[in-house]
Amino acid sequence: MATVRQGFGGSPGDAPLSSVLPHPYRPRGVLARQRRGTVKLASGLPWILPALVLCVGLIYYCIGYTGLISTWKWDGISPNPQHVGFGNYSQLFHDPLFWGAVRHTVIFFAVTFTVQTFLGLTFAVLLHSRIRLAVVYKVIVFIPVVLAPAIMAPVFQAMLAPGGQFNTLLRYVGLGTLAQPWIGQTSTALPALMAITVWQFTGFTFVLYYAAMSQIDQSVLEAARLDGAGNLRVITSIVWPSVAGTTFALATLSVIGALKTFDIPWLVTQAGPYYATNFFGTYIYQEIIQLDNVGYGAALSIVLLVIAVAFGVVLQMWRRRKAL
Amino acid sequence: MFEVGKRWKRVLLQIVVTVMVLPYLFPVIVMLQGSLAGQGFGNYKAVAEVPGFARFFLNSAIISASVVALVYLCALLASYGFAKLRLFGREVYFWMLLACLTLPEVVLLAPLFTTDQKLGLYNTYWAVILPLAALQVPFAVLLTRNFIAGLPEELFEAIRVDGAGAVRTFKHLVLPLTRPIAAAVIIFTLIAAWNDYLMPLVFEQAKTMQTITLVPTFFVGQFNDNQTDILAAAVITAIPEVVAYLGLQRLFERGLTAGAIK
Repeated sequence: MATVRQGFGGSPGDAPLSSVLPHPYRPRGVLARQRRGTVKLASGLPWILPALVLCVGLIYYCIGYTGLISTWKWDGISPNPQHVGFGNYSQLFHDPLFWGAVRHTVIFFAVTFTVQTFLGLTFAVLLHSRIRLAVVYKVIVFIPVVLAPAIMAPVFQAMLAPGGQFNTLLRYVGLGTLAQPWIGQTSTALPALMAITVWQFTGFTFVLYYAAMSQIDQSVLEAARLDGAGNLRVITSIVWPSVAGTTFALATLSVIGALKTFDIPWLVTQAGPYYATNFFGTYIYQEIIQLDNVGYGAALSIVLLVIAVAFGVVLQMWRRRKAL
Repeated sequence: MFEVGKRWKRVLLQIVVTVMVLPYLFPVIVMLQGSLAGQGFGNYKAVAEVPGFARFFLNSAIISASVVALVYLCALLASYGFAKLRLFGREVYFWMLLACLTLPEVVLLAPLFTTDQKLGLYNTYWAVILPLAALQVPFAVLLTRNFIAGLPEELFEAIRVDGAGAVRTFKHLVLPLTRPIAAAVIIFTLIAAWNDYLMPLVFEQAKTMQTITLVPTFFVGQFNDNQTDILAAAVITAIPEVVAYLGLQRLFERGLTAGAIK
């Protein structure tokens, strides 16, 4: 999925290989090689063990346990849960809230990914052009990435309230007729959350595109210009194809991000009004923590996991076929 | 990228960027302005004096530092094993780790909830540190493995010929040479751990164990929806993040570029 730019990040530069080795281990010519002989390559197993134990141990244990719980009707405390087999799953397929969460996730992904890609790409192209104070713009766009959604949630609640600053701004610029309770009504709650998400993650999209664009061969761009290609043509025919790998990685991250969404809908709209902003994350949280339907929540989790892994596999296959 | 020759076009471009950037600034301005309503900076003082406020920062710092240390160590050791050592079934292990990349954390809720209660981990730092670290390790391994695999094989041969075993190679070769990618790992992990909301929300119910992401909820209860104080609290909690970002901005970009997902 990711290719790392090879090299030393500029530290040793073009120095001969031996000079970057710490002193006692510098190769000392053919003589040293013959005297000492070669040590056999060690086994990597002990080295990967801590990561495996932590990651695979904890996560796979949890997935297995979730699978087990998903066949119970259980409140999370009682010592003898009622075994219901696949009862939770068949209930799930007739659950309008589940399908609502699916619909919101799909819309959420499609819109946020498209808008973010467009904005991120535009910012990257513009800031690669001759713009003064580029650093200032970079910082402004990137700061939302480091701010925790949980901390910004009350700000957005205040801002998007009927008497909030956003409506004030609309009235100020003469668009007062558009003023409305953005997060208080079903028609605009989901778009409002998508706007918040775009605000939050454009910086991330931008930085990755910006880095990818720095690696485009300047001579290719110059050649295209000499052939008479205009700005738009250069972007569609050279820049966009060159950053296809980044676009793909961002699509993957956006799918996972949409499936994981929890903080913003939970804190800004409480998954409402009338479940208009209910996502997998908020739904599972409600079932397991608030309603004590641990079995049903576990079944939802398993379905979510299957969807997430399926998307991962499909995207990976698509990537292979396009040889990105 | 964009070639603009004429002066007025360059000015136009500058104006376009400025207008595009304004919406990103707006929420931050709302936050600052709202937090200063009424008593101005007195609001910050009032919020900072609420008993237990510093504790949120301490908890977040302890949890984030532990997660970063754990992820860094596990990822670096594993990446070296994956990239440069003899490993039977290498790809199987690697894909077992990578499959965890797609895992939404909410899936861990039910089993962790019951297991933590059984093991008495509820309301301890471990209840949050372990799952957060486990969720971050796969991405970190992915980044560092590719980086280490890209280091010239001659270096590893040279040090091996000189009689160094895996431990010495790791200490004298892998650790110093992976610094650029370590910056990326540390920054990604730090953002994820510091900003996480769900895990502390569920597993740190005790007031003294909560993290900064729970501050807004805490103040909503404390101040009965007194918006000014809630926004002041939001500003104070956001400051360390912004300062850290501004201070590390170059490291951020170097890290992201070193780990450039292509």
